[in-house]
Amino acid sequence: MNLLNRYLQAVGRLLPKARRDDIIAELRVNILSQMEDREEELGRPLSEDEQAEILRHHGNPTIIAGRYREGNLGLAFGVQLIGPEMFPFYKNILVLNLSITLLILFPASLIVRAVFPGILIPLVAQVSIITLIFALLDRYKGAVLDKWDPRKLPALKAAAEEGPTARNIFEFISVAVGTAWLALTPQWPYIMLGPGALYLPALDMKFWPRWPLFYGAIVTLLCAELVLRFFTLFRWLPRRQARILDLILRGIGVTTGVILYFQGPYVVSSQYQDVAEWANVTFHISVAVAVAIHLWRAGWLLFSLIRERHQMLPARQY
Amino acid sequence: MNESPFENLKLELRRGCLVLAVLAQLRAEHYGYTLRKALADEGLEIEESTLYPLLRRLETQGLLTSEWREEDRRNKRFYRLSKEGKVVLKQLLEEWRGMDESLRRIFQESKV
Repeated sequence: MNLLNRYLQAVGRLLPKARRDDIIAELRVNILSQMEDREEELGRPLSEDEQAEILRHHGNPTIIAGRYREGNLGLAFGVQLIGPEMFPFYKNILVLNLSITLLILFPASLIVRAVFPGILIPLVAQVSIITLIFALLDRYKGAVLDKWDPRKLPALKAAAEEGPTARNIFEFISVAVGTAWLALTPQWPYIMLGPGALYLPALDMKFWPRWPLFYGAIVTLLCAELVLRFFTLFRWLPRRQARILDLILRGIGVTTGVILYFQGPYVVSSQYQDVAEWANVTFHISVAVAVAIHLWRAGWLLFSLIRERHQMLPARQY
Repeated sequence: MNESPFENLKLELRRGCLVLAVLAQLRAEHYGYTLRKALADEGLEIEESTLYPLLRRLETQGLLTSEWREEDRRNKRFYRLSKEGKVVLKQLLEEWRGMDESLRRIFQESKV
C-alpha cells in the first residue's frame, strides 16, 4: 500500500489543514475498497502496476485536492478562464502576492507620497500576470495534469506524529523562557526593565498588597502550561486530552486576567505619581492583551474539540 | 486542451443530473465507493474525483448527513439524505418530470 500512501500524501499536502485528515481517511477507505474489489475479481493481490492504474484513474492529486477545496468557484469573463480545480490555488497565490506587494509598497509609497499610482500599477500588473498564467494553466491542464504517474509520486515523509514537531518545540521553548523570565523578575528586575531597574529604589514604588497572590497564580499557571507542553512535545498525552487540559488552563488564565484587570492600582509612588500611573496603564494594557490571546486560543481549542467530536475523526492514518 | 462542443454540452447536461441521481440513491445509506458502484449498476458511471467532493458539497449544503462508522473492521463515512435533502429531492424530481415531459413533446413535434 506504499503507492496508496504516497498518493494520499500528495493529495493531503494540497488540502486545507482543518479538513485534511477527514478527507484523506475517506479517500483511503474508498480506494482500498475499490482495490479489494478488483483483487476479488482477479482472485489475487494487485501488482504495483494495477494499483497505479487505479490511482491514475482516480485522478491527479492536484485536481482531486482542488475539487475538495472550494466547491465550484471559478473565474469567468463571459467564458470560464479558471475552473474550480485551479481556482483555489489561483486565489491563494494571488492573495499571497498582493499581500507581500502591499506590505512592501505601502510604506515605500507613503515615503515618496505617491500612494495610488505607486501601489495600483504593480497591483494591477500582478493580478493580470497571475490571472493570465492560471488561465493558460487551466486551458492546458489536461495536457499537463493527465500525464502523471503514481509511481513517480514523492516518497513518504516520516509521519509527523512520531516525534516532536518544530511547532511543539517552539511552543515549549517559548513557554519555558516566559516562565523563567517572569519567575526571576522579582530577584532580577533588570531582565524586565533593563537599565531602568537601577531607578527602582529611588522611585519608592509600593506594590498592591494582593499582587503576590496573583503573581504566584500566574507563575503557577505558566508552570502547569510548561508541564503540558513538555508532555505534548513527546506526545505522551493523546491529542484530545492535551487540548482539553490546554482549554482548562486557558479558562483559568482568562479568569485570572479578567479579575486582575479590574483591580489596581498595581503600584503607587508617593513621589513619582506620573511614573506610577504610566506603569499602571502599561500593566492594564498587558493584562488585556494576555486575556485576548488566551481567549483566542481557548476559542480555537473549543472549536477544534467540537469539530473533532462532530466528525468522529478516525486516528490519523498517514 | 479544447474539448469539443459535444463534450462540453454533455458535461453541462450531466452536472445537474448527477446531483439528482446522487440524492435519489442516498435515500438508502451508502459510503462513497458503494454509492459509486450502485450508480454504475444503474448505468450512471461517475468519476471518483467528481463524486466524493460532490458528497462533501451536498453535505455542506445540508442535503446530506454523514457519520463515521465501523464496517468490516474499517471506519467508513456513511452518507444519507437529510430531512432537508428529502424535501429538495422531491422538488427536484417534480422539476425533472416537468422538464422531461416538455422535452418529449418538443422532440415529438420536431421529430428528433
